[in-house]
Amino acid sequence: MKELTAEDTSLLELVDRLLNKGVVLAGEATISVAGIDLIYLGLNVVLAAVETIEKQERRAS
Amino acid sequence: MTLLAHAIAPSPPPAFAHEGLRGRPLAWSEAGDLGLWSTEWAPDIKLERNDALEHHRLVERICAAQPCLPVRFGTAFATPDDARASLDKRAVALRAALSRVAGKSELALTLLWREPPTSTPIESASGPGRRYMEQRRAEFAAREARRARAESLVQHVIAELAIDRQLVWHETCTSDNVAVSLAVLVPTEQAGERRMELEQIGSRFPDVISVLNGPWPPYTFARIE
Repeated sequence: MKELTAEDTSLLELVDRLLNKGVVLAGEATISVAGIDLIYLGLNVVLAAVETIEKQERRAS
Repeated sequence: MTLLAHAIAPSPPPAFAHEGLRGRPLAWSEAGDLGLWSTEWAPDIKLERNDALEHHRLVERICAAQPCLPVRFGTAFATPDDARASLDKRAVALRAALSRVAGKSELALTLLWREPPTSTPIESASGPGRRYMEQRRAEFAAREARRARAESLVQHVIAELAIDRQLVWHETCTSDNVAVSLAVLVPTEQAGERRMELEQIGSRFPDVISVLNGPWPPYTFARIE
């Protein structure tokens, strides 16, 4: 289990709200977001994505 | 041209001298006593993470100027008429949601486990099949114990805050790290004081680290039935 910093957590909580909360005006077009894995995913999946990115960075360095 | 939606607010809009995302024009599309703030966007421009953060900053400014309902990031309308028709269709629910969040802000409390989940190896004289099953049972029991502890943390926070349950949203154990993700809707003028209370409550739990965010626009509570 990767330890999350307060900064990681704050950013992930914010991203989760932007992508998963707020008024849903259903039936309208939704523009795709670059790095599409972020959209419509819950905080748990976003966390997993961050862990994956960081593992890749560690491998690269 | 596409309209990239940011927030719904009552009309008439106050004087609001801000640009939209990436310096593009900010548009107001009015439908009766409601309106939609959006950026004039081009459908071929892909949204990036920084656009999401800029959307957040813009929604914060709109919510500081007037009651507003944040719209889920990434929602777009082909034309202003489409935007107006969408508001018209949901006008009653949108008005109700607006009055629910008017003058209120969201505080976010995240409780992170201090320790990773325990997985004690099972010592057993029996065969590997039995050992495997016992290991699985132990892991399941540990997960359930964590879930129960997370739920008890939530109940503790709600009781200490002495707040109406309808003004609290929460999820538990959304990942190995996260015990609780909780949002509270509070009057904006009390947000500083409520934030301090939440900080104190969170710091009393020995098995979790608390991270507090906000006040934010009422993202979690901006939903329509």
